[in-house]
Amino acid sequence: MTLTQTASALDADAIGRISDRFSEPDWLRALRAGWWDRAAATPPPTGQEEEWRRTSLDALPRDVELLLDAPLLETHLPPDAAAAGVILTDLRTAVREHPDLVERFLGRTDGPGSHGHFWALAQAAWTGGLFCYVPPGVAVDGTLVARQTLPRADLAFHPISLVIAEEGSTMTLLEEIVSPDGAAGWYGGIADVRAGQAARMRYANLQQLGDGAWRIGAARVVVDQDAVVTTLNAEVGSRVTKLGLDVLMTGKGGTSKVLGLLAAGDDQQIDINTVQDLAADHTTSDLLYLSALYDRAHASFYGVTNVRRGTKQTSSYQECRNLLLSPEAGAEPIPVLEIEANDILRCGHGATAGAIDPTTLFYAQTRGLDPATAERMIVRGFFEQVVAQIVDETIRERILGALARRIGADTSDEIAA
Amino acid sequence: MALPNPALTQIPGGYKYGWHDDEKPLQIFQKGLDAETVAKISRVKDEPEWMTKLRLKAYRHFEARPMPNWGADLSGIDFQDIYYYVTGTDKAVQSWDDVPDYIRRTYDKLGIPEAEKKYLAGVGGQYDSEVVYHNIREDLEKQGVIFLGTDQALKEHPELFREYFGTVIPANDNKLAALNTAVWSGGSFIYVPKGVHVELPLQAYFRINTQNMGQFERTLIIADEGSSVHYVEGCTAPTYSTASLHSAVVEIIVKKGARVRYTTIQNWSSNVYNLVTKRAVAHEDAVMEWVDGNLGSKVTMKYPSIYLLGERAHGEVLSIAFAGDGQHQDAGGKIIHAAPNTTSLITSKSISRGTGRTSYRGLIKVYPGCERSKSTVRCDALILDDEARSDTYPYMEIDEENVTIGHEATVSKVGSEQLFYLMSRGLSEAEAAAMIVNGFIEPIVKELPMEYAVEMNRLIQLQMEGAVG
Repeated sequence: MTLTQTASALDADAIGRISDRFSEPDWLRALRAGWWDRAAATPPPTGQEEEWRRTSLDALPRDVELLLDAPLLETHLPPDAAAAGVILTDLRTAVREHPDLVERFLGRTDGPGSHGHFWALAQAAWTGGLFCYVPPGVAVDGTLVARQTLPRADLAFHPISLVIAEEGSTMTLLEEIVSPDGAAGWYGGIADVRAGQAARMRYANLQQLGDGAWRIGAARVVVDQDAVVTTLNAEVGSRVTKLGLDVLMTGKGGTSKVLGLLAAGDDQQIDINTVQDLAADHTTSDLLYLSALYDRAHASFYGVTNVRRGTKQTSSYQECRNLLLSPEAGAEPIPVLEIEANDILRCGHGATAGAIDPTTLFYAQTRGLDPATAERMIVRGFFEQVVAQIVDETIRERILGALARRIGADTSDEIAA
Repeated sequence: MALPNPALTQIPGGYKYGWHDDEKPLQIFQKGLDAETVAKISRVKDEPEWMTKLRLKAYRHFEARPMPNWGADLSGIDFQDIYYYVTGTDKAVQSWDDVPDYIRRTYDKLGIPEAEKKYLAGVGGQYDSEVVYHNIREDLEKQGVIFLGTDQALKEHPELFREYFGTVIPANDNKLAALNTAVWSGGSFIYVPKGVHVELPLQAYFRINTQNMGQFERTLIIADEGSSVHYVEGCTAPTYSTASLHSAVVEIIVKKGARVRYTTIQNWSSNVYNLVTKRAVAHEDAVMEWVDGNLGSKVTMKYPSIYLLGERAHGEVLSIAFAGDGQHQDAGGKIIHAAPNTTSLITSKSISRGTGRTSYRGLIKVYPGCERSKSTVRCDALILDDEARSDTYPYMEIDEENVTIGHEATVSKVGSEQLFYLMSRGLSEAEAAAMIVNGFIEPIVKELPMEYAVEMNRLIQLQMEGAVG
C-alpha cells in the first residue's frame, strides 16, 4: 500500500494509516490517535504569543509531502555498549525490538508549552526518530552517534528523539540532522530527554538542514536528583529555525549546562525560546548561547529562568551573546527572569550584541593577518567560550567542521598555528 | 519644618496620606465613560474645536483597543465605575490664599507651599481633575519660562500648545494613553526658551481625593535649544477600599543641546492603579533623564521612554521600585536609538518584600544606520521574603552591526553574612537590613534632590522595620 500525504492534509485516518504501514501494536495506535486529538485541540501559534512574536509561520511549507519511509538512522554504538544493554537505534526499529521500553517512555509528557501544538503533531505523525537508552549504572565509554540524512528537501518530517539515561548511568550522544539545499521543507523534530537520578549526560545536536528548511523543533530535558546534564545545540543550517527548549530541574541537587552555538548567514532566521525551570532545591542551571550573524541573518533569543516558589539555594545564569558581522544582521536577545523565591544562591543574566571591536581587528592585522582571516579567528575565538566546554573530541570536531561552512575553512588549524 | 517629601513616607501599618477630605466637590460628572462624557469635559473647559475632535478620536481608539494582557493583572479596573471629572475649583490661582480652604488644608498637611518657599523655582498642585495652584518665580517668568496648568496653557498659548501637543504620544497610542488624550485634565505645561537654564527644580504635586476617581493629568515639557530644566512630581491619594485609576501622559521635547531631567516619586495609596505613559524625544546633542521612583500604588505599569532622534543624543533611565504586600510594580524603561552616536543607560533597582512583586520590563532598540550607538542596561533586584517575587524582561532589538549593547542583571537576597557582620558592629537586624537596602539603591538616591534623598533613606528604614527576623 502506498500513502502519499501532505502535512497540511493530515487527519485521524491518515494517522491511522501511518500505524497500518508500520504494523504498529495497538498501544501505539491508540497513543498516536490520542496525540492527534491533542494536536487538533491545541491550536497552532497565532503570532500573538510572546514566544511567537518574532517568527511568522505564514510561509511554513505545509503542503509538502510527509516523509513516510525515512532512511533508517545511521548509528554508531561503541563496542561493549550493546552488551551492557545500551540501545541506540531508529525509533521504528525500537518499537519492534524493544516494545516494552518504548511503551514506557514514548509520548508520556507534554513538551514546551509554547510549542504544544507541534509537540502533539510529532507525537501523532512521527515516521522516524531515535531511541537511545542507557540502563541503570551503565557508563558508556565513547560517543554515541546518530545521524539522519533526509533524501529530499521538499518533505515534511516530524521525528521523535527519545533519550533516556537511567539512574547512575553515564553517556555522551551526538545527534545530527542533514538535508539537501533547495526547496522548502518542514522539519518538525522533537526531543524527549530524561536524565535519571545521578545520571551524567552530554547531549549534542548538530543541525545542518538545507537552506530551504523550516526547523520547528522542541525539546524537553528533565534533570532528576543529582543528575548532571549538558546540552548543546549547534544550529548551522535551515532557512528558519524556531526551537523551544525546556530544561526542567525537577530533582534536588541537579545540574544543567545549556549551550548553544549559532552561525547564520544569508536570510536565515533563528529564534530560540528556552525555559530553565528551577523547581527543586540546590539545583544549578547555566545557559550560554552564542550567535555569529552574517549577511542578513537575524537571531532572536527569548529565554526564561523560572525560580519556583519555596525552592532553596538554586543557582542559575542566562547569557546570550551576539556578534553582528554585517550591517544588515540583527539580534534580539531577551533573557527573562521570573523569581518567586528569595533564598537563592545566585541568579543573573547577561546579553550583548555588537560588532567586532575595530581595535581587535586592527591588532590582528598588525600581526600580518588579512582582514578576512582576522575576522575568522575572532569569530572562532568568540565561539571558544562554548567550544571549550565540549570535552568530547568527536563532537567538537564535527561541530567545528560544520561551523567552518559558515565562518570559513580550517578554523581549527588557524587557531593551532 | 518637616521635610517636603510629599510622596515618600509610606509607613508600615499606616499610609500617612490615606486620609481624605469630605468636602463636596464643585463639579462632578457621573461615573462612566462614553463619547458624551468626553465631549462634556471639553465643553466644561471651553476648549477649541480641534481639541474636542482630538479627544473624540482618541476615545474611539481607546474603545477599539484591547486591554494590555502582557503585564500586571488589570482585571480590577472597571472603566464604567470611575469618575472622569471631579473638581473643587474653577480655576488655578497664583496666590496660596486663594486656594479653597479644604484643598489648602490638604496641601498644607502635605507640606507643599513650604517646599516652594524653600527650594523650588515653581510649583503646581493638582487636586482630582483640576490644577488648583500654580506659581513660578518672577525672574524665570521674565526670561520667558512658562510653567502653567496644561488647561491654562491651552488658553494662554494656543499656538505653542498645538504645535507640540500629541506629537510625542499621539491620540492613537496605547489604550491607556488614548484614554488620557480623551479625558485629560490638568497636568503641567512647561516651556523653557532657548539658552535658559532653570537652576532650581520645578515641582508639581498630584493628589486624588475622591473615591473611584480617575486622574488623567497631561504634562507637556518643551526645552528649547540649549536650555535646561529639572521637573519633580509627587503623588498621593486617600486609601479607599475601591480602586482609583491614575493614567497620566507625559510628553517631553528636548531640542538640540538641551537637557531635561524628570523626577517622579510615586507614592499612591494601595488602591490606585497607576498606568502611565511617559515619552521623550531627544534631538541632536540633547540629554534626557528620567528618574522614576515607584513606591506606592496597587499596580504600576510605567516604562519611561526616550527616542534618541539626533546625533549624539543621550538618554538615561534610573528606575527604583519597592513592592510591599499586594503590590505589583511593573516598571522599567525604553530607549530607541534612531540616530548615529547615540548613547543610553538604564539602571534599575527593585526590591520586593512580603507578597510584593517587582518586574523590570525594558526595551533597547537600535535602528539600522545608527552606527556607534552604545547602550548599557543594568538591573538589580533584591528579594526580601519567601513570598516576594521579582521578574526581569529585558527586550533588545538590534538592527545595526556597529554598536555596543549590553545588559546585565543580578538578583539576590540580603545575605546572612552581611547581616551578621553589621550586627556584630552593634546594629539591630532591622537596621542592618535597612542599611543593606540603602546601599543597594544608593546609585539612584544620589541622583535625587537632597531633600528627597534624605527622605528616601528614612522611608526605606521605615519600610524595613519588622522586615526580617
